[in-house]
Amino acid sequence: MNRFDPLLSRRHLLRVGAVSTTVSVSGWMGRLARAAEQGPAKPKRSCVLLWMFGGPATIDLWDLKPGHENGGPYKEISTSAPGLKIGEHLPKVAAFGDRLAVLRGMSTKEGDHNRGTYLMRTGVVPSSAGIHYPSVGGLVAKELGDPRAELPNFVSIAPQTFFGVDAYGSGFLGPQHAPLVVGGNRFGDPGGNLDQILKVDDLDRPAGVDAPSAGARLDLLNVTQDEFAAGRPGAVTKGHAAAYDRAARLMQSGGGKVFDLSEERPAVRDRYGRNLFGQGCLLARRLVERGVSFVEVTLGNWDTHGNNFDLVKGLCGTLDAAWGALIADLKDRGLLDTTTVVWMGEFGRTPKINGQKGRDHYPAAWSTVIAGGGVKGGQAVGKTSPDGTTVEDRPVSSADFLATVCKVLGIDPEKPNMSNVGRPIPIADRGAKPVLEVVA
Amino acid sequence: MSVRLWVCALVAVALGPSAARADDGRAADLAAQIDRHLEADWAAAGVTPAAPADDAEFCRRVYLDLIGRTPKVADVRDFLADPAADKRARLVDRLLTLPSHAAHFAAVTRSAWLPQTVTNPLLLGFGNQFEGWLRDRFKENTPADEVARRVLTVGVRQGRRNNDPRFLQPDGADPDAARLVGFYQANDGKPENVGAAVSRLFLGVKLECAQCHDHPFAPYTKEQFWEFAAFFAELDPLAGRRPGDSSDLGPQGEKNRLTIPNTSKVAVARFFDGRDPEWSESKTPRQELAGWLTAPGNGYFGRNLGNRMWAHFFGVGIIDPVDEPGENNPPSHPELLDTLGREFVAAKFDNRLLIRAITRSRAYGLTSRLSHPTQADPKAFARMSLKGLTPSQLFDSLVAATGYREAPFLRANTFNVFPDPGNPRSRFLNRFQGGDKPTEANTTILQALMLMNGDFLDGQTAADRAELLGAVVDIPGWDTARRVEALFLAAFARRPTPDEARRFGSYVDRGGPTGDRKKALGDVFWVLLNSPEFLFNH
Repeated sequence: MNRFDPLLSRRHLLRVGAVSTTVSVSGWMGRLARAAEQGPAKPKRSCVLLWMFGGPATIDLWDLKPGHENGGPYKEISTSAPGLKIGEHLPKVAAFGDRLAVLRGMSTKEGDHNRGTYLMRTGVVPSSAGIHYPSVGGLVAKELGDPRAELPNFVSIAPQTFFGVDAYGSGFLGPQHAPLVVGGNRFGDPGGNLDQILKVDDLDRPAGVDAPSAGARLDLLNVTQDEFAAGRPGAVTKGHAAAYDRAARLMQSGGGKVFDLSEERPAVRDRYGRNLFGQGCLLARRLVERGVSFVEVTLGNWDTHGNNFDLVKGLCGTLDAAWGALIADLKDRGLLDTTTVVWMGEFGRTPKINGQKGRDHYPAAWSTVIAGGGVKGGQAVGKTSPDGTTVEDRPVSSADFLATVCKVLGIDPEKPNMSNVGRPIPIADRGAKPVLEVVA
Repeated sequence: MSVRLWVCALVAVALGPSAARADDGRAADLAAQIDRHLEADWAAAGVTPAAPADDAEFCRRVYLDLIGRTPKVADVRDFLADPAADKRARLVDRLLTLPSHAAHFAAVTRSAWLPQTVTNPLLLGFGNQFEGWLRDRFKENTPADEVARRVLTVGVRQGRRNNDPRFLQPDGADPDAARLVGFYQANDGKPENVGAAVSRLFLGVKLECAQCHDHPFAPYTKEQFWEFAAFFAELDPLAGRRPGDSSDLGPQGEKNRLTIPNTSKVAVARFFDGRDPEWSESKTPRQELAGWLTAPGNGYFGRNLGNRMWAHFFGVGIIDPVDEPGENNPPSHPELLDTLGREFVAAKFDNRLLIRAITRSRAYGLTSRLSHPTQADPKAFARMSLKGLTPSQLFDSLVAATGYREAPFLRANTFNVFPDPGNPRSRFLNRFQGGDKPTEANTTILQALMLMNGDFLDGQTAADRAELLGAVVDIPGWDTARRVEALFLAAFARRPTPDEARRFGSYVDRGGPTGDRKKALGDVFWVLLNSPEFLFNH
């Protein structure tokens, strides 16, 4: 978003930004306000990752085995794409089958939540070799985002980072590509508190500080900060100034409002589902509308070692409503062709149903989905054996998948970034083969 | 007082100063060696080192590095007023005796050695136990070789009910075992993980990459990795003689060998320098390794720990990253590194010798203010690098600066994964967690917002609710200049420059935009606490 005159100094920006909510709009503020009315220049692409924490039973969602003892009680349903069938508890998703591609040949090597999460989110196996790999969000946001944008380029909604915070950050890309996190690490049903949870913490000025004082504080801070930084140039002081700059920009009129879901009509909010994931997807849509490059929304509780079928049915209800509403809204707004929606967890679950009617961790054969912009939809690529235990056609590794997401978004997966160990590392691991069949 | 206590006291008085003098001489000598190495390097490379830090800058830095927080107003005033020529060395000596020194070093060591116990709730308890043990070690100044030997040889055994390696149990006969077992638990109890950690932490050699293939840059082979891991083979519940096996395996049976995964090859424990232990019944493989590792002739151990200590104070190691020596990562000052390692060994691994020597070196005493382009490379050590604060350093410094009276039960909550809404410390630790290299520390938007708008800083910058600020605002008889100076001493550990005194003084005198002087002093304190000069160690 090139909404700001690049000639304006940061100091000026901070000063006016802090005061802008109450002071009359004049001078260049007027230009700023007009620019806000016109809306941001649309970025080329956005990506929404629906992250299914816990390891979803993809055999019950995307690659059913009806008739086989591993298949369980669910039925297949048709989608809007001829020949593509998915699980019966995703009817709203089925309605846009022509826009989605199922990768049924996922085959990865990590069956532990931590390690699997790291693998799928970074494209490499975790090791203690000291290379801080960035998560897919950081990688994509760096390529697609505008560093001068009012909003951060990477927003993470409701992540659950208890077991391995390393897989959620920007690693060697640096904090400027780290996610802005809202609603992180929540357990259970937040009830009526959803709106508050999905807001950015500490975004509002303290009640006892009026706008002129806030502006005066930032003025003094800028001088003090600049004096210190002038004698100590480098990434540390630059990073501090940049973070304060972006924080102040986010505080000003337009930026933070995107997180205020009460602006949406109740009927719209109902369609997404009145739960953290549903409202998170609504927030994702609002962020994409404002040009944010990468948004991820987490839905947890997929770790169905027992009572898999009741639990998965419930989770599908949450997923289906939110995802269906998201796609429909993106389509209505003409954003579906520029927005790619990726669905994945850290691994799949055992085809064999255990004694507790559950399914256990299973990385050897499972599915992921990629939908919307840049995707050749209406197809399933790859095939598992009749019992679901092995991939028989078109196996896809985590690195292959990351490369595929890149290709769909128009990013070169071999593009190197400088790492923290002083050598360049490509976005997707060397040798990654994107699944070109799904690239439109 | 009993006679015995009297005698003890007399002995202590008699020994105290002379022992301290000996330490002092040794530290001064090592500091001089450090200076010689660096000065020679600066001259050879045409580097113009920065000016010396003034007392205030030194004071703030050494507080942060040694006890993990900034000095309080009275601490700075006393130090600045002290006319003694050796006051810097005496300050270091005094800080070393404080419990907060042991606590800070234990916390830093725990997050370097067992980072997984900081972020993984399942391992949190183990990490806390381990940190408590380390705290006692730093308090007693236990030599570093003894610490390493204890960690490496502590009694652990397989659980009776669950032989999953993750459920290793402390051996009840070993008094340290309950607190040290976390080292093994955090590494999944797997020989390869424990071996990789030990190699990285105590040798400064990262062997993990050789786990699957020969190391791409350094001359370490896959075989060497597994031979090292085999010293921990006894942790494997399947180790031991297999039924029907009558081959001659030597006195340690199968406790010193591992099958390399996906091969039929067996790796027998062997030292990293290619020598074999002389296996006996009396020494376990872990004891063999501990003996070799900490032997005075083992150059890796002393150099590695010397380098890590150096990195603690400068933010950058002489080899950096500290655990990746190799052709692509040579030491910036090899002779200096050798000197540190050699003197550390000669001083019987006395951590405090290194601390005293480094803190009185010329390089440590340089200002962070850049005055010549040749100072820009942090590995020239020609000016002090800016370092990020650890989350605890930040919050402890906020406590020191604001006078916040923190209840002990709130202070005890150092868990950063779930923020406790009612506990400011917990919320700061959560928001500021992250594993950046200190010299590359960065700030996130949410961190900035928390400092700008969060209720903790809001309370401490509002004159009617704040602690230190409340007092500064209300002290009768002070003029504006004195009030502003007090806030500068609290936040920056220095007095304002004349320019700053004028700028902030006139702001307060006119009462800021609201015409309220008390509020304006709150604005000043807010500005100082949000400044990089407060938020970084410089």
